[in-house]
Amino acid sequence: MKRIAIALFLAASASLLAAAGPDFKSMLKAVDEMGDFGKQDFSAVYSIVTEKPGENPSTTEIQIYRRDVQNQFVILINKPEKQKGQGYLKIDDNVWFFDPESGNFSHSTIKENIQNSQAKNSDFKKHTFSEDYEISSTAAGKLGAFETWILDLKARTNEVSYQHVRLTIRKDKSVPLKEEDYSVSEKLMRTVLYLPTYVEAAGKLIPAKIKMIDELNKGEQSVLTISNVRVGALPDSNFTKAFLSRAQ
Amino acid sequence: MEIAKLALRNLTRQKKRTLLLGGAVAFGLMIVTVINGFAAAFVKNVSENFANLAAGHVFVEGVEKSATGKEISIVHDDNAIMKAALEAKIPAKYITKRSSFQSTLLYAGKTAQLQVSGVDFASETFLPDRLVFKQGGIEGMDDRQGVIISEPIAKRLGVEPGDRILVQMKTYTGQQNVGEFAVAGITFDAGIFGNMSGYANKSYVNELLNLASDDYQAVGFYLPSLEGMDKYGADLRAALKEKVQVFEKNTATNENPIRAMMESSKKETWVGTKYRVFTLNDMLSQVQQIVNVLNTVSLIILIILFVIIMVGITNTFRIIMYERIREIGTMRSMGMQRGEVRNLFLFEALFLALGGAVAGLVLASIAMGIVSLVNFGLDTPLFIILKNGHMTFRVEFWRTLLDVVIVAVLTLLAAWLPAKNAAKLDPAVALRTAK
Repeated sequence: MKRIAIALFLAASASLLAAAGPDFKSMLKAVDEMGDFGKQDFSAVYSIVTEKPGENPSTTEIQIYRRDVQNQFVILINKPEKQKGQGYLKIDDNVWFFDPESGNFSHSTIKENIQNSQAKNSDFKKHTFSEDYEISSTAAGKLGAFETWILDLKARTNEVSYQHVRLTIRKDKSVPLKEEDYSVSEKLMRTVLYLPTYVEAAGKLIPAKIKMIDELNKGEQSVLTISNVRVGALPDSNFTKAFLSRAQ
Repeated sequence: MEIAKLALRNLTRQKKRTLLLGGAVAFGLMIVTVINGFAAAFVKNVSENFANLAAGHVFVEGVEKSATGKEISIVHDDNAIMKAALEAKIPAKYITKRSSFQSTLLYAGKTAQLQVSGVDFASETFLPDRLVFKQGGIEGMDDRQGVIISEPIAKRLGVEPGDRILVQMKTYTGQQNVGEFAVAGITFDAGIFGNMSGYANKSYVNELLNLASDDYQAVGFYLPSLEGMDKYGADLRAALKEKVQVFEKNTATNENPIRAMMESSKKETWVGTKYRVFTLNDMLSQVQQIVNVLNTVSLIILIILFVIIMVGITNTFRIIMYERIREIGTMRSMGMQRGEVRNLFLFEALFLALGGAVAGLVLASIAMGIVSLVNFGLDTPLFIILKNGHMTFRVEFWRTLLDVVIVAVLTLLAAWLPAKNAAKLDPAVALRTAK
């Protein structure tokens, strides 16, 4: 009799948990952690192909160095030849842009677009969805072959780039498949598709291809392809102005 | 006195030579006077045109620092500003309270950058009179989402009045936002600065910026003229400083005062709203630098021209001395002193310089008068340096007097050696010299 009571209690608890659904806060945190290399440094090369109506596609190649634990990154432009040597350095909340032609550093922001592409500086730092947003609604969905959770996120402060983000996450792994960025006036501005092919580094899954679609300028999009991924210690000197000004 | 009369008579003896030498002096001074006149009017015209674009001469901007250290431009409550303006006795013809943002306009796959000023058309009654419309008009601003853009922007986007365009911008805290404008009017090309500026209703601009309807970002005091704006700015800063937090204006360096205030605010922390007080002159300190360069260039031109003219004058006076060598001998033998002979030549040079200077000023006035009659129109990129489509000149008395003094001194220097040599001549030697 006692065993039956325990079994009934466990069954009731399990069904209650199932009815409550997954822990979306933890899921969002897991999405952030998937791109967070903690105490290890991260470096990679991104090739960005940008298409605009009536123009030939343009290719930009950038080298990224990231030190998440100190909130630092360096973005170095390798291609096109005209912009080679330009770069960004982020230390804490300060972002500097270096132009080798003038040899000067100027203040920039992480919201600035890389060259002519749809990618912003902030797209190359680790995700901070769980810090910047709170979940306003959730729903189940399907994207292609994948069962997904759709999370509507509302900015916690009025300083986050997008007031509203709709994030589509795979049910089987805490990996985003799609991100839709909305303006304050609730107009869809940008769709980011994290294509489901991955590069594995230090036990984390990094989308090998990301497509960024400009929803305001129809026909404009950028495809980012990652290569040369390395996780491990980088020299401290990589995160200095001197490195940026020398690395041409 | 007799020497001066003699010098004048000598000048009229060789009319052609005097005319050529005087003409050279006149030409040099004319060029320099025109350049100086243009430089002086350049500042005034640029300042006046900029005052129209910026909507004021003295400005106060509210700045708050967010929790993340980001600077936010906002004025919630302007009681302190208005009280300080009264105390500083600012003779404001108009007071403008504007919000603005940098935006990208999008229409049918085309984009254009535009600085949009949010204007309260009910209070800024002077603005419609200043805008010269090519298409549409101010009545289109009855639509809350109306926008006035310049002709080059309209051409770039391919829009006409009535078309609806998307506007992409950031809120006052830096969030991405998108709105929709209806083209109300298209103004004539207003030069490089006017091109990039557009006007919209403040209520809609505030909505896009995520500001409350009564908030704004900067107040501008429109003075009756450009005179005294720095004093009024200083008085307003002093009066405001007694009521609220105000940024110090650093005048110790050559750095632009507004940029210096912005740089220093990056390092500062404060709570609440802190105010920046600045004037049109602070905004246009680079223009003053252009004028300083123009003035220096004109002075160098004056000196180069007159070094060339001096060589001519020295040679001519040496010829004159040899031409008049027997005349000098006669005058010396009749009792004229060495100093009087020297002064005779120097008076001739001085009269030549003064005559040339007067002619140069007259020629400059004629040249400036003719150029100022030309109407370059309102749709020219030169708009910013013109006054109602006309190029204007401003001859400053002390600057002109300095130029005339420089001309006189250089001419006297040029004649000094031949005059000295003439004075040194032995009368007996001079009399028996055969020409």
